[in-house]
Amino acid sequence: MTTNSVNYIEPTTEELSEGVRLRRRKRAINFAIDVFLIVVSILMLLPLVFLVANAFKTPAEMLSWPPTIIPRDPTIANFSAVLGETPLLRWIGNSIAFAVMSTIAIVATSAIAGYIFGKFRFRTLNILFALFLATAIVPFEVYMIPLYFQAKSLGILNSVWGLLLGYLVMSFGIFLIRQNVIHSIPDELLEAARIDGAGEFWIFLHIVLPLLRGALGALAVLAFFQAWTAFAWPMIVATTRTSYTIEVGLALFQTGFTVDLGRLSAASATVLIPSILLFVILRRNFVQGVASTGLKE
Amino acid sequence: MASVEIQNVRKAYGDVETIKGVSVDVPDGAFVVLVGPSGCGKSTLLRMIAGLEDISGGTIRIDGRVINEVEPKNRDIAMVFQNYALYPHMTIAENMGFSLRLAKKSKEEIAERVNDAARILGLTDYLKRYPKQLSGGQRQRVAMGRAIVRNPKVFLFDEPLSNLDAKLRVQMRAELKDIHARIKTTTVYVTHDQIEAMTMADRIVVMRDGIVEQVGAPLELYDKPVNTFVASFIGSPSMNFLSGKVAEDCKSVLTENGVRLPLGPEASVLAGTAVTYGIRPEHLAIASGNEGIPITVTNIEPTGSETFVQGTVDGQKFSAQLRERLFIKTGEVLNLALAPTNSHIFDAATGMRLG
Repeated sequence: MTTNSVNYIEPTTEELSEGVRLRRRKRAINFAIDVFLIVVSILMLLPLVFLVANAFKTPAEMLSWPPTIIPRDPTIANFSAVLGETPLLRWIGNSIAFAVMSTIAIVATSAIAGYIFGKFRFRTLNILFALFLATAIVPFEVYMIPLYFQAKSLGILNSVWGLLLGYLVMSFGIFLIRQNVIHSIPDELLEAARIDGAGEFWIFLHIVLPLLRGALGALAVLAFFQAWTAFAWPMIVATTRTSYTIEVGLALFQTGFTVDLGRLSAASATVLIPSILLFVILRRNFVQGVASTGLKE
Repeated sequence: MASVEIQNVRKAYGDVETIKGVSVDVPDGAFVVLVGPSGCGKSTLLRMIAGLEDISGGTIRIDGRVINEVEPKNRDIAMVFQNYALYPHMTIAENMGFSLRLAKKSKEEIAERVNDAARILGLTDYLKRYPKQLSGGQRQRVAMGRAIVRNPKVFLFDEPLSNLDAKLRVQMRAELKDIHARIKTTTVYVTHDQIEAMTMADRIVVMRDGIVEQVGAPLELYDKPVNTFVASFIGSPSMNFLSGKVAEDCKSVLTENGVRLPLGPEASVLAGTAVTYGIRPEHLAIASGNEGIPITVTNIEPTGSETFVQGTVDGQKFSAQLRERLFIKTGEVLNLALAPTNSHIFDAATGMRLG
């Protein structure tokens, strides 16, 4: 057959206009979605932008109406006051130490417990797992006071160890890792390793942990921010000025009668830096670990 | 290389016994296939040899040594799993050298043995890749490579070809057989696919419900199945069974409505005995004239090389695989001839072979 003999059927004008209409409609919907998402992101970012802007404003400008995004008369007086008069860096240091150690503890305990709950089948383990999960529905505030007395009798009040006592284990973390172990690590992988001569600890270290990297990364971010934003527990455990975490320290700017907005903003802006840095570094792990159970061969 | 002796082995989960006293001898260098339908206990038995399941009773010996209480890693076995069980975060070379690394062999030795195995399996170009970058057949080869590098006394295969497509399965079957012919390691192979069993095994162990139904060479099982279960399980398409009674002359079997089925010379049965008459579909041919077994055709499947006919004989299901091309329609009656020597007679009540 030659190309000449092919009978092309031209689309009618109606069909053409219908196509154009549909394409336009699709473009309009996409545009509307973009606009909606941009508005939502602006609404979410605006408080942070104002926070940073306020940190550079004078007290007068801060209270002026309409509020300004870019300070008319930028000043670093707030920062120098905060850094000079309060041990802000110390508080940040305390928070980082507390959050890092809590993250390590939670990742370690969740990995071990999650793996054991996921792969070792004893009836007693099921009961234990149910108990672990049950603790997730008990608010921390309920057992905060007994825990406080425990910390007191251990003599670790006003220290990072005291802070850590309430943040060593995370039942959600154990649950998350257990689900990941069940879904992404087949029994055969462990059995093959056992036949090949690997011991249980070796298997955990060299096979299970690398395969859980994504989930553990996600858990690490969750655990870090849980400790970073903890307030009630540090508030009662840390009572000396030097042992405060940043959350407790920030609360000090807000007394019963006044709020020192300038310094509070400057301190808060400083505090944002480590959080943003960590999220940027672990972003990929975070998204991966939450989005997929991964590693299905 | 070593022999494997399984003596009266039992496995119970609480009150439920899944392996009920199995005894199998695997001679040195043999390729033995455990075959049976799902849930017959074949995989459990293999896992007991591997040490992945406890043994509730009986003994298993490898190379004369009782290994009931020996840890899997000390049994000197290698196992290939259905889903390959490759470590996704390790390269092919690391996967294959894994057991040697655990055994603290030198890097040079590991590299040498991995390269040797890779050469045998045609994996040399893939050693630096990760499992997810390989096709199913290649992954299966890596799993075998991991077993080969260890140079174990016994290879254990747990349905290793089930995850492959039909064409690749045929190809891997031949490769496995070829590798066994070269390295001659004692092999225990589990499958539910009787064709795999027939084509690969030196000896087949047919299992059902936790017991061994028959052990023998593939053609022995095909020619002389001990009962109706083995007869129907081995061979594809399955053997036809017609129930009837032995005729007065003891030379034929009569179905309820009088279809006469010839008996072979070996059959020694008393007249009037209720029996199950077995004949394989491939042992039938078109009869001349009105002789032979009349089959009412319900379905015809021509494949080009042969024709598969399904239908009924005296109301009982019956099929035939014929070399000839057929020009008949469904509903018509076709007369089929058979050689009496190809017939099998089983006791109607017990299903055991009578001749």
